[in-house]
Amino acid sequence: MAVMTFVMPDGTRREVDATPGESILAIAQRHGINELEGACESCMACSTCHVVVEKDWFAKFPEPSEEEDDMLDFAYGLALTSRLGCQIIFTVALDGLVVRVPSDRHNALLD
Amino acid sequence: MTVQRPVYFDHQATTPLDPRARDAMRPFFEESFGNPHSAHHTLGRQAAEAVETSRRNIAALIGADPREIVFTSGATESNNLAIKGAARFVGNTRRHIVTVATEHKCVLESVRALEGEGFSTTLLPVLPNGLVDVAALAAALTDETMLVSVMGVNNEIGVIQPLEEIGQLCRARGVLFHSDCAQAAGKIPLDVDDMAIDLMSISAHKMYGPKGIGALYVRRRPRVRLEPLFSGGGQERGMRSGTLPAFLCVGFGAAAEIARQEMSDERVRLAELAEQFKVRLLAVPGASLNGDADKRWPGNLNVSFAGVDAEALLGALIDDVAAATGSACTSAAVEPSYVLNALGLDAELASSAIRLGLGRQTTSDDVEVAANAIVHAVDTLRAQAQDSAA
Repeated sequence: MAVMTFVMPDGTRREVDATPGESILAIAQRHGINELEGACESCMACSTCHVVVEKDWFAKFPEPSEEEDDMLDFAYGLALTSRLGCQIIFTVALDGLVVRVPSDRHNALLD
Repeated sequence: MTVQRPVYFDHQATTPLDPRARDAMRPFFEESFGNPHSAHHTLGRQAAEAVETSRRNIAALIGADPREIVFTSGATESNNLAIKGAARFVGNTRRHIVTVATEHKCVLESVRALEGEGFSTTLLPVLPNGLVDVAALAAALTDETMLVSVMGVNNEIGVIQPLEEIGQLCRARGVLFHSDCAQAAGKIPLDVDDMAIDLMSISAHKMYGPKGIGALYVRRRPRVRLEPLFSGGGQERGMRSGTLPAFLCVGFGAAAEIARQEMSDERVRLAELAEQFKVRLLAVPGASLNGDADKRWPGNLNVSFAGVDAEALLGALIDDVAAATGSACTSAAVEPSYVLNALGLDAELASSAIRLGLGRQTTSDDVEVAANAIVHAVDTLRAQAQDSAA
């Protein structure tokens, strides 16, 4: 069984099972990690599923689309390795992935 | 010939507002005063529309997408935002910056401020002709380098740096490339893609637009991110908060469009005038041109007159020629130009240099008047020096 870890804003680590084909947002929601809100249901309009990927894992992802970059511009606590959880699809190669959950969210739908 | 004196030869300090840009601005001083961020009424939307047209014109001048243009108060702010903003966003991962000894003060001081935040800097020397040695630049890059900042056209000596070569080098090494193009935009063709530029600073008042506005080009693909300098309402895609001055944006946009259309003709015309001027000035014994003779913007001549004090020369020319000893920002300080020092000029030759900036309104008659006045003033000052030594 593949796993991934969410590092919560208070530093606690939640290791959860992850199924290839699921988005990181979907994995979080399945495990009750509601800090990843997903207010726009993955249509890249809210930035509430923003996660900061650990540096070594970041390079393993395909480049973000222009639309994802546009939405990341609105994200709270943006970092060099920021991504939207709804746009990263878990694969077997990502077994062990670690992402950090920012301490707050900015919902661009409400702007 | 009727030439209004003093003849203006300080186009690197600032350019006069083009009357066509002024006419475009006028309604936005007066009846169209809306805040471009007020989306709920016609006045606001009119202003927003005009601002976006200007943004498109500025983008077109440098081969950019309008969404990549961030309005600022001028090139000083753009340079600060580019350098500090990029460095602070990248933060702890890479902390080395490379720039050049002949950059504008606001670039050098921004980099120096970052040294106080733990960044390290390499300040590259230049070749005697004022150009960057690209091989030396390549050798200065390390795995820690996050940013290279090299200007397009030098404000004191007019030399044109090899931006495309530097850009491709930075791209290959995964380093951000910023260029201060305050003196280059609207003067020489610039293309952010061909030159692999990630961040470019532009100023309106160096290209016949109004003072008080500039822009920073910020690349979208791959996305370049900046930590903003100010907190606020998040205007300009979060990178530069504050209400946009619609009338200045409009003047800037109009100036950019005029420059885009007229740039190549203007360059040819100025090259002829510069040649006429240069022939006259370099015929003076002990006169020499500073900066590369060919790889330069023709609207700049920086000339040393050996043994003549430049301050005294400008004083003697006060009724005939408006020129400068170096960049206006440092001209209050009586010390030889650090740019000329970087070329290897000794202090005496550096303090005998004047900068002559030609521009859109400069005529052949202006050049003749100025050349006559300068040749005469140099002769007079030398004769006086000989008399007092005798």
